Amino acid sequence: MLQDIIGSKRELFADGVQTVLRGHENRNRRVVLLKGNLVQNSRSEGCGISARVNNRGTFGFASIAEYTPEAAEQVIRAATENALFLGKHSGRDIPLPASAGTGTIPLSAQIVDVDQKTIIDLCRTVDSYVEKKYPDLSSRTVVYTEDSQDRIVCSSDAYNGHLVTPRCYVYVMMNAETKDGVPVELFKAFGGFGSFHDHFDHPEKLYPEIDGLYRKLMDKKEGVYAEAGYKTVVLGGMMGGMLAHEAVGHTVEADLVRGGSVAGPNLNRRVASELVTMVDFAHTFEGGPAPLPVFLDDEGTMATDDVLIRDGILVGYMNDRETAEEYGMKATGNARGWTFTDEPIIRMRNTCILPGKNTVEELISSVDDGYYLIDSGNGQADLTGEFMFGVTCGYEIKNGKLGKALLDTTVTGVAFDMLKTVDMVSDRVEWSSSGFCGKKQPMAVGMGGPHMRCKIMIGGR
Amino acid sequence: MELKKTADLLDSQLKEQGIGKYKYTLSRSEKQELNLENGGFKLMRTVFNNSGSLKVFLGEKMGSASGNNITGDGLRKLAAEARAAAESASEDPCHDLAPDQGKEFFCQGVYEPDLDRFIERISEFLETTAKDFPKIRIMSAIGSFDRWEWISRNTNGTEFSARAGQYHFGIEICAGEGDKTTGLDYTGFTTANLDTPFMEMGDLRRRLGDVQNSIDPETLNGKFEGTVIMTPGCAAEFLYMMLSNYAGEGVVINGTSLWLDKVGEQVVNENLTVSLDPYDERIVMGERGTGDGFRSEKVTIIDRGVLKTHMLSLYGANKTGRPVMKNSAFDLVVAPGDKTLEEMIASVDRGLILGGFSGGQPGTNGEFSGVAKNSFLIEKGKIRGAVTETMVNGNLGEAFKNIRGISRELLCDGSTVVPYIAVDGIVISGK
Repeated sequence: MLQDIIGSKRELFADGVQTVLRGHENRNRRVVLLKGNLVQNSRSEGCGISARVNNRGTFGFASIAEYTPEAAEQVIRAATENALFLGKHSGRDIPLPASAGTGTIPLSAQIVDVDQKTIIDLCRTVDSYVEKKYPDLSSRTVVYTEDSQDRIVCSSDAYNGHLVTPRCYVYVMMNAETKDGVPVELFKAFGGFGSFHDHFDHPEKLYPEIDGLYRKLMDKKEGVYAEAGYKTVVLGGMMGGMLAHEAVGHTVEADLVRGGSVAGPNLNRRVASELVTMVDFAHTFEGGPAPLPVFLDDEGTMATDDVLIRDGILVGYMNDRETAEEYGMKATGNARGWTFTDEPIIRMRNTCILPGKNTVEELISSVDDGYYLIDSGNGQADLTGEFMFGVTCGYEIKNGKLGKALLDTTVTGVAFDMLKTVDMVSDRVEWSSSGFCGKKQPMAVGMGGPHMRCKIMIGGR
Repeated sequence: MELKKTADLLDSQLKEQGIGKYKYTLSRSEKQELNLENGGFKLMRTVFNNSGSLKVFLGEKMGSASGNNITGDGLRKLAAEARAAAESASEDPCHDLAPDQGKEFFCQGVYEPDLDRFIERISEFLETTAKDFPKIRIMSAIGSFDRWEWISRNTNGTEFSARAGQYHFGIEICAGEGDKTTGLDYTGFTTANLDTPFMEMGDLRRRLGDVQNSIDPETLNGKFEGTVIMTPGCAAEFLYMMLSNYAGEGVVINGTSLWLDKVGEQVVNENLTVSLDPYDERIVMGERGTGDGFRSEKVTIIDRGVLKTHMLSLYGANKTGRPVMKNSAFDLVVAPGDKTLEEMIASVDRGLILGGFSGGQPGTNGEFSGVAKNSFLIEKGKIRGAVTETMVNGNLGEAFKNIRGISRELLCDGSTVVPYIAVDGIVISGK
């Protein structure tokens, strides 16, 4: 892990500007077994130092692929020069945001590395279980992936700290064919925040869920295409999380609000039914750790929760220091960069729609003719709140009972319209944390949600 | 240290560790990037980076490692990590290196930037946009100049090295009027010179016009089966999805490809020819060496509708007993057709111009389903207006069998050369 060699460089920060110096290391481990063949077997590390300087609204950033005191001095100098150079062309003259406090955030986790053999052995154990138990699969893939961030943040007028965010996952993917020879597939991710030993010392603990994945794939083999149209659906918790992140979360990132997102004219207005409350959690959820805890962002802002929708009313945005000033809100620690080469931009952390009072069974039994949509492969949204999620696992609902499985499909809607149709919310939240959000740079994010009954557009034949 | 000397140092360290078979690439890069927000310059970013990627073979075991520390200590760690990964691997004779490709130095693009001229071109673009497209909001724009040098060697004797540099300009736009806002659209281009105003590069002018004309979209009612004219950017996305789904390495190795035994057979419409051509003069930074260490070649994957090859690396080729593709699937070039876009639109009874596709990743069966973005309804040969909340559904393989027309017009954005492609039989549905 990084040692603090940059704290002493604060004396080089220029007067009259805001500077943040960051030491940053990313570490990746990856193993892929395709039908038992080891097709990827790699380890990588990237480390360096960056500095960002805010000169009255014009920013300079510089980074070097070295973690040395000399590199720290070079990036401070280069970032300051960049801010001054661009200031001649930008015409921006915005007062610097006031300090929201200073202090030091202590280290709260460790990154524990394991050798590649341990990782390969885990993948082989899981692969062997799938191969032996389910020989009728047309193909199978087992992937181990681990990425961690180790950051030391040193700011001119905000908090300092040493932060680490390790996460690791095993993906199991299964392929089969329908009776007509059409390929179908499903996958599931296991793991989360932490290092290898936090999740994978006992691979047999994964087997019940792997068995469940197989059963769903067998259902999908007999699956049908959804009927295209505007339907009543029960969104599963993973889909609820995708909705929170893609459909709403991005529209309430203040840089996108400034660009004209639908959230701009809707602040303090009803955007969802009163059953919907949505929060971007920093590091704690229901008394325990949030899926990917964030304690300090890369502007030196101490991370706190950010309530975005309360009882259906849009009440806030996610901000960096500059946009918080502009919108009269509080910066809550959303400005983050993924690698040392990345300037901090506004990113979500653990974005979640809060649970309600119904059980999942009550939601399903309340639908006469609709769909239960469980898992999503990907999702996108844009400024208007129009969103799209790929649906990889779902079932028909007929007369309150689950029917046939669905083949892959897609759902869409406009977030602030669709959320007004939410009329039942389940009492449990499901989280996912394995994905990356893409917005100029990748970023690890957590997203969660309860089951929700709502109306949505579904694609199909 | 000069990159060639760094490579010599890595060679000697690998030999000291008793590693006799390996391949690596070392690079140094520099980025100068101008970031604009809401039409004005906001941030200037400078990135100095290094990278080293190493693949080692211990008998029939392979391991790889990468990192950005290419000092003596960093290289020693890189070698140790790759070696440890290889020691942990199981034996697989299909992992291998490309045979000796000789030694060659490549010089591509422009190495010394003219940043003042670059800023002038960006400012000119902003002014032209404000004048010609007053409803357009440039939410963000990034102008970057990247340059790098790299060297790649393997123990069969190959040594490729290069110096290269290019400009890139990309925009993220919407249009607004009062409280009304369109969805986001993105486009950009890569170039080695600053001779042409940016508004005339790639498809920028067309995209700005399309977005400005999308402020009052209509929702479709019901569903119908119709024609979709994919814009070049959208066509490239669909072609990559189709090639990956049916001819990609993963689906060929695991045997789930629907084109597994179709090489030499007609798989799509006879008017479609798809190549990867790193030496096409319209491609700014064509690939010169593949990840396996082959000298990159022009590869025609589909020739007049006939599948010519799967897209296999050396490992995939050895694993399946099929030919290797000496290209890493970059530099897409699609042959133009014989119709103008205007003629293609005029021939459509009912359908869409599909400006973008926001959908789930199609499964191996090729079924796709997603939202039509930045798209326009066509009825009786005329463009009727922008649409919203509209979905398109179909099958990749079937769609490209049902090609109705391919345009003469081509989008050349420095990375791809692609026409408009019209396909029939797509289910288009609204609320």
